Amino acid sequence: MRFFFVFFFCILSTPLFAQQKNKLVFHHLFTNKPLVFNENYILKNKDTVSIQTFKYYISSIQFLKNKKVVWKEKKSVHLIDEENSPSKIIDLDNMPDGIEFDEISFNIGIDSATNYAGVQGGDLDPTKGMYWTWQNGYINFKIEGKSTFCKTRNNAFQFHIGGYENGLATLQKISLKINNKKPLEINLDVEKLIEQINLSTQNEIMQPCKEAVEIANKLSLLFSIQ
Amino acid sequence: MRKLIYLLFIIFVGFVSFKTIEPLFVIPKGWQKPTYDFTKNKLTQEKINIGRALFYDNILSKDSTTSCASCHLSYTAFAHTDHALSHGINNRIGTRNAPALFNLAWSKKLMWDGAINHLDAQALAPIHNKDEMDETITHVVEKLNASILYKKLFYAAYNDSMITGEKTLKCIAQFLVTIQSYHSKYDSVMNHQSTFTNQEKKGYHLFQKNCASCHAEPLFTNNELVTNGLIVDETLNDMGRMKITQNVNDSLVFKIPSLRNIEFTYPYMHDGRFKKLSEVITHYTSTVQPYKNLPNQLKKAIVLTSNEKVDLIAFLLTLTDRHFLYNRAYQFPKNILTTTKDKQ
Ligand code: HEC
Ligand code: HEC
Repeated sequence: MRFFFVFFFCILSTPLFAQQKNKLVFHHLFTNKPLVFNENYILKNKDTVSIQTFKYYISSIQFLKNKKVVWKEKKSVHLIDEENSPSKIIDLDNMPDGIEFDEISFNIGIDSATNYAGVQGGDLDPTKGMYWTWQNGYINFKIEGKSTFCKTRNNAFQFHIGGYENGLATLQKISLKINNKKPLEINLDVEKLIEQINLSTQNEIMQPCKEAVEIANKLSLLFSIQ
Repeated sequence: MRKLIYLLFIIFVGFVSFKTIEPLFVIPKGWQKPTYDFTKNKLTQEKINIGRALFYDNILSKDSTTSCASCHLSYTAFAHTDHALSHGINNRIGTRNAPALFNLAWSKKLMWDGAINHLDAQALAPIHNKDEMDETITHVVEKLNASILYKKLFYAAYNDSMITGEKTLKCIAQFLVTIQSYHSKYDSVMNHQSTFTNQEKKGYHLFQKNCASCHAEPLFTNNELVTNGLIVDETLNDMGRMKITQNVNDSLVFKIPSLRNIEFTYPYMHDGRFKKLSEVITHYTSTVQPYKNLPNQLKKAIVLTSNEKVDLIAFLLTLTDRHFLYNRAYQFPKNILTTTKDKQ
């Protein structure tokens, strides 16, 4: 009888323990509300925008305390895709419990060493649609949508941001101050990026170039801790 | 006695089967180390077979009409002889000449403008190009996963029948690196198994003096990218590497092609503008443009008498490698891709 009691206690408490696991959760927002694909958002300047694709790579996740790295994830590459909800939660399974940290840092995109190393699997598999084909290189960040501002076919805009050489590197390091909260939740407000781009003059980036670097430099604006 | 015969028989069989094992990849005597990192994609016969099957299979194109071999033909050193600009799906014409393919394990950058830095990623370019195969790797992998033939082949190679983009591309790269050419007359002269004629010898000296700085032995390319002073073709306006780096110093910069098997890889240059070797040589003696980024070797005009031109061409013809051109291991894999039914 006592044995059963212990047994049930264990079963009941597993979810409790599981919750203790470190997770990194990404929330995609538009004007502080969860991002919804194809919804027409009205911008401050009265233009409308809708989003159809939003995906990006997060790599080299590490945690710091007083500017010193206390833990870093091995083989740290994750494709986060609005269309694929589970991808927005990263399990940091191997992170030991009880580590103290006050800062998290990660890259948006794929580092140049990986870009020189040919084709890879998992989230880096070229079937994921995040690899340029007529030239080498991963697309670090992809956003596609429509706006009345765009005088293009179907009013479409497409930004495929990548590049790692020839002075056109786009990898961005993001550092955010955090406390030991679990799970760790990170917000990305898409509007913060869209309002930085003049969609009437700029609506397509599909290769490494100066304009891609400029947009990449603005990506840190998107991020905040919940 | 019976035991002895039995034993001899086993030794004999062992010997025969041992002898027939050929290495999957050879670094010919005196050649530098390949640039391709074989530790990241270990060659096996099973994976090479898959790559070879894929190379010859129309399944890689959107409407199942075009394979890699449509543009890269084994008996012309995998170039597309007679086609200045490549011919793809629905008879669409590309903007560049399909280059010969061999000794790719030594290349640094691929494509005429060096857009691709790794052989494993190369096949993505023709598969996705609208004028070539007009497919997507995502859909190709779906089609392969639905094919009993490929499921079997991948299971044999990986002990896992799940086909991914990575595996597909790495198998193609495995076949590509095994395409090797090092059995030309030039090679046998270098290995002291043959000798040049007088004319070839004179041509060889002219070659070493005027051409070898870029078309370096034994690969006949140093695998760099430079301009060789061709006039821009205004119907194409192909600026070469500048499109990739957006740097004016890379204007009209193209990959230095190997001259092995040059007898069969006409027409020549990135846009196939020259049909004959004599026209190529006349370019180097007479029409090199004085671009700012022209390499020093070409700044002073190359002077060759008409006899010397003939000698130079005689030497270039010693780079033909018939062993390579007729190598069955590079041809359509009849034993794997028997009928289209198998593919379903
Ligand atoms: C429609 C014709 C066509 C098809 C089909 C085609 N290619 Fe090519 N290939 C070309 C052209 C043209 C180039 C040069 C492209 C450039 O420089 O932009 C090329 C370049 C290459 C190169 C680079 C060689 C070097 O030395 O830089 C390789 C390798 C190659 N192709 C392999 C393949 C493979 C593998 C396939 C099948 C998956 C394939 N090709 C399908 C036309 C084709
Ligand atoms: C400064 C470097 C350089 C030198 C020196 C040079 N070449 Fe070239 N060669 C190139 C480049 C670059 C190309 C490709 C250009 C293009 O397609 O736009 C090329 C292309 C060729 C081709 C065409 C190959 C093909 O498959 O299309 C031939 C043939 C050739 N060269 C022969 C020669 C000969 C013969 C000499 C000596 C007289 C020579 N080259 C000297 C750089 C050089």
